[in-house]
Amino acid sequence: MAHVVIPVGPQHPALKEPVNFRVVADGEKIVRLEIDLSYNHRGIEKAAESRDFIRVLPLLERVCGICSHSHATCFAKGIEELMQLEIPQRAQYIRTIVAELERMHSHLLWLGVAAHEIGFNTLFMWTWRDRETVQDILEEISGNRVNYNMNEIGGVRCDISPEQAGSILKRLPLLEERIGEYVKMAKSQRTMLMRFCGVGKLSRAEILRYGAVGPTARASGVDYDARRDDPYLIYNTIPWNVVTDEDGDVFGRTKVRIGELRESLGMVRYCLENLPGGPIRVQAPKTAPSGGEILSRYEAPRGELVHFIRTNGTDKVERLDIRTPTLANWTSVAAALVDQNLADIPVIVAAIDPCLSCTSRLVVADRKSGKTGNISWNELRNGVCRIRPGSNRI
Amino acid sequence: MTDPLFPLLYILVFPGFLFLLAYALILEYIDRWITARMQNRVGPPWFQPFADLIKMLSKEVIDPAGIDRRLFDAAPLVALAAVMTAFIYVPVIGSSPFAFEGDIVLVLYLLSIPTIILFLLGWLSRNVYAAMGGIRTVTQLFIYEVPFFLALLTPALMAGSWSISSIVAWQQQHLWCAILQPIGFIVALIGLQAKLERPPFDIPEAETEIVAGPWTELTGRRLAIMHLAVDVSLVVGSGLVAAMFLGGPAFPWSVEPGWLAGLSGLIVFLVKTFCVLFLLSAIKVATGRIRIDQLNDIGWKYIATAALVQVALVLAIQSARVIP
Amino acid sequence: MSVISEMIRNLLTRPVTILYPKEKVTIPPGFRGRIVVSDEKCIGCGKCAVVCPARCIAMVDNQKEVSFKGKQLVRRKKPKVKLFKCIRCGLCERYCPADAIHVSSEPALCGTDKDAVSA
Repeated sequence: MAHVVIPVGPQHPALKEPVNFRVVADGEKIVRLEIDLSYNHRGIEKAAESRDFIRVLPLLERVCGICSHSHATCFAKGIEELMQLEIPQRAQYIRTIVAELERMHSHLLWLGVAAHEIGFNTLFMWTWRDRETVQDILEEISGNRVNYNMNEIGGVRCDISPEQAGSILKRLPLLEERIGEYVKMAKSQRTMLMRFCGVGKLSRAEILRYGAVGPTARASGVDYDARRDDPYLIYNTIPWNVVTDEDGDVFGRTKVRIGELRESLGMVRYCLENLPGGPIRVQAPKTAPSGGEILSRYEAPRGELVHFIRTNGTDKVERLDIRTPTLANWTSVAAALVDQNLADIPVIVAAIDPCLSCTSRLVVADRKSGKTGNISWNELRNGVCRIRPGSNRI
Repeated sequence: MTDPLFPLLYILVFPGFLFLLAYALILEYIDRWITARMQNRVGPPWFQPFADLIKMLSKEVIDPAGIDRRLFDAAPLVALAAVMTAFIYVPVIGSSPFAFEGDIVLVLYLLSIPTIILFLLGWLSRNVYAAMGGIRTVTQLFIYEVPFFLALLTPALMAGSWSISSIVAWQQQHLWCAILQPIGFIVALIGLQAKLERPPFDIPEAETEIVAGPWTELTGRRLAIMHLAVDVSLVVGSGLVAAMFLGGPAFPWSVEPGWLAGLSGLIVFLVKTFCVLFLLSAIKVATGRIRIDQLNDIGWKYIATAALVQVALVLAIQSARVIP
Repeated sequence: MSVISEMIRNLLTRPVTILYPKEKVTIPPGFRGRIVVSDEKCIGCGKCAVVCPARCIAMVDNQKEVSFKGKQLVRRKKPKVKLFKCIRCGLCERYCPADAIHVSSEPALCGTDKDAVSA
């Protein structure tokens, strides 16, 4: 049978955000996948260069609606390191609590979305119901459900009172019980096992070759987690384990995420019980040192998030480069889809928990020829766009 | 039966057209309500299916470029007409006045027509998703139709009749076929679920894969009528399974006045179709969608085998004359 | 099996959905809602307008005598907040020297006028 090109996206019910796949299929089997990213470029990196450190954090939180705390913390911890600022223990604990709550709500969300992709809407409803508990806790701590705005350079903005900590601790056993239910469901639900097991398999070598990160990598037995291997905040002082799995398929990624849910819950509980006293912030200098460069790494729910920051002695960054985990994982999706069924596209794509607008890069497309390419800074400044063969095509 | 008005009333008012349409929408509401409650949601208000129908009927009909308009308009009507005709032979308050030897075969074939129509619509839509959905519809038809037919054949074999009404009468004298043939009952339920394209067999209209399958290009009244046809198939299907396996509308004791007998028959019919619907909804809530190749495996390896085993068992019982 | 037991449990209990106009969720005390400016306390320094990431605060002319840390002074301007442009980050509250601008826990509701001004 001749190869057929099936377009998926930029508008398609399986996609929550715009992206375009050109799936080259041989009957029901996928031969190759071509991805066009970047329907959602928002110019955040450039916008960050024009805002001072106070005003840049709310902007960076809006890179991603799910891992908003990750982006803000990643940036704040990079800048603090450049300023050689030691932030108080209590602030670090609070940052960790919010980060782990965020991981929990992200993974619960993912579990629901993955179930929805295989048409198992019931689990979707249940996980999103239980995610509400996490969201309520976050709302109580920070005052907002999505963009928590907890961070500022030098500490955190909201304190957790003993009453709040008590009320959160009271709700954790319920969540723990629910997570236990999901472990049981994932292991026993027949249709889920049928659709998840052996689908989108990636070996350890492939993961390393394509540079995948986060739960995607850990599901293939890559024992790497930025929280342990490049410790920040208080991750090297609190008890927790890196969850890995050997399966390497969508089911393995499910197991890793459910395992991480449990670990996160344990960490939140530990941090709340051992919350040290003291101030929640220190006064940060207005400006960052000149010529400072830092690569700030952070384990976001979806994988390792990297902010490259260069400062120039003013109260603004000279250059900020954000490498989101989804960008690192795209290549592995293209590899995992080869030789799979057409019906498995949604679930394999969903398995990396893609966050597309965080990933978007500036791409210039020529409407007539359909070619895409990049442009240089100078061309952008001069307003001349000339399409050159791009590197964004996978 | 001598009154010429009676068949007309039977077809047009009760339990034909009017009752059937109302009951189809009520059953859709109950299905949605049970689903919602099992998922811990509130669910729609009771008039939602009616409101949806009226809204869709009044919406603009969009013609995709290059389709055969008349065929596209006619196809949903054919589907609706087929399943509504099938309902005439399903016993509702007692045995159907139109019953004849062999009506079970007619009902089964009429029930297959919406599926064929869906394939046709998918093929006619000139849309890649609709075409894929249409092909999946037919592939799925070939997988579930054989076990479904075999499963519904077993009560007929046991009762020694090809008429639904006489099978109901046979069950009244003996036992429910669901008790005598549990395997057949389960296979029939699975087959019905697949016929109605509900999870885990909603492969042809898999939302996250092929948008809405054959339904993608249906709009306005075409969508409304096709939707209604599926609702009516739900009534016919659950009524059929209730009649073939759960003893139909037959009331265990004989009730004296004629109208009371009819009413009790209707209540029994309603309760039994609710029970079938509840089982179908529970399957829908408890499962995700399987892949077409997996369905092929399961369908031929296990479901068809189970149906064949049931037929063989019935034949063995028949020849051993365990049940007179 | 756990799926079926959960299904039956849900069928027998009330749904968790909150039917909004009839029932309302309790808003936690720290919730960041609409911005409220205290006319008595504001000294018109304009710090809120400087830190606002969404640039939704504009300083408008408004002369008034106010007391600040026991001293009487005359302010020249006061902030005007565009309600639906505000992203509710709370930075204005954090940096206000006179404790005059607050994000209240009252939700901001919704509207169609992008330039609507908070009271």
